[in-house]
Amino acid sequence: MEKLILQLKQEIIKVLNLEEVAPADIADDAPLFGEGLGLDSIDALELIVLMEKIYGIKLKDPAQGREIFKSIRVMAEYIHANRAK
Amino acid sequence: MPQAIRKYCHVTDRSASLNGVALPVADAAGEKGAFLTALYRSLKIDYPKFFKMDSLSKLGFLAAELMLTDEKPRFTPREDVAIICFNRSASLATDALYQATIQGNGGYYPSPSLFVYTLPNIVAGEIAIRNKFFGETSFYVCEEWSAQQALRAAHLALCDEHTRMVLTAWVECSEEACEAFMMLVE
Repeated sequence: MEKLILQLKQEIIKVLNLEEVAPADIADDAPLFGEGLGLDSIDALELIVLMEKIYGIKLKDPAQGREIFKSIRVMAEYIHANRAK
Repeated sequence: MPQAIRKYCHVTDRSASLNGVALPVADAAGEKGAFLTALYRSLKIDYPKFFKMDSLSKLGFLAAELMLTDEKPRFTPREDVAIICFNRSASLATDALYQATIQGNGGYYPSPSLFVYTLPNIVAGEIAIRNKFFGETSFYVCEEWSAQQALRAAHLALCDEHTRMVLTAWVECSEEACEAFMMLVE
């Protein structure tokens, strides 16, 4: 799980162009939206694309993202349980 | 109505100047876009959204920062500032990047963050959002441009009883090069 969490942080930094953020700056349990990383709605769409492209997980209902993208840890646990790649 | 160019700047992907004076920027040579990032850092701006912008918006954003850094007060909502931009290629460079995300052999994964920049007038919006400007914004795509043409557009905007200041610019980005020339007109 720790390896997946680190990989996920690296992917998110790359995909969302978080140029001034290092993996260590992202707390595993910190909220991704609002406070924490302060991501916005376009970032949420990019995360949905990332889930499909990298892990083969297709979110049919974008509202699912609200739960899945709560934190890096929640996202990693969802990927671990549902990944197709 | 009398109008005056109070400031002007020129920014490319290799150099920047304000009122004709070159700005010293430690360039991270090589990678495309490195100069704009180096300029961003040299201006000590804290605006993480900059890194999410496309090249056209980065260019216009930085030109506006050069114009406005010393303006006081800063970031106070204003309805009397207009932003009028011109270029030749619209958002073609970003359009091509976006198309690559839906045309590659790796699958069909359209990028939302690229898609939002597939309109050239987004650069005017980025400047307006950063500076809390709520006045007129417009973007004209034209083959040729001149400072006189920009000043005519600024003059027309200033004829509006609400507008007191105009940022007008040529902001052009292609695969080969980026160039912005911005004037602050009052």
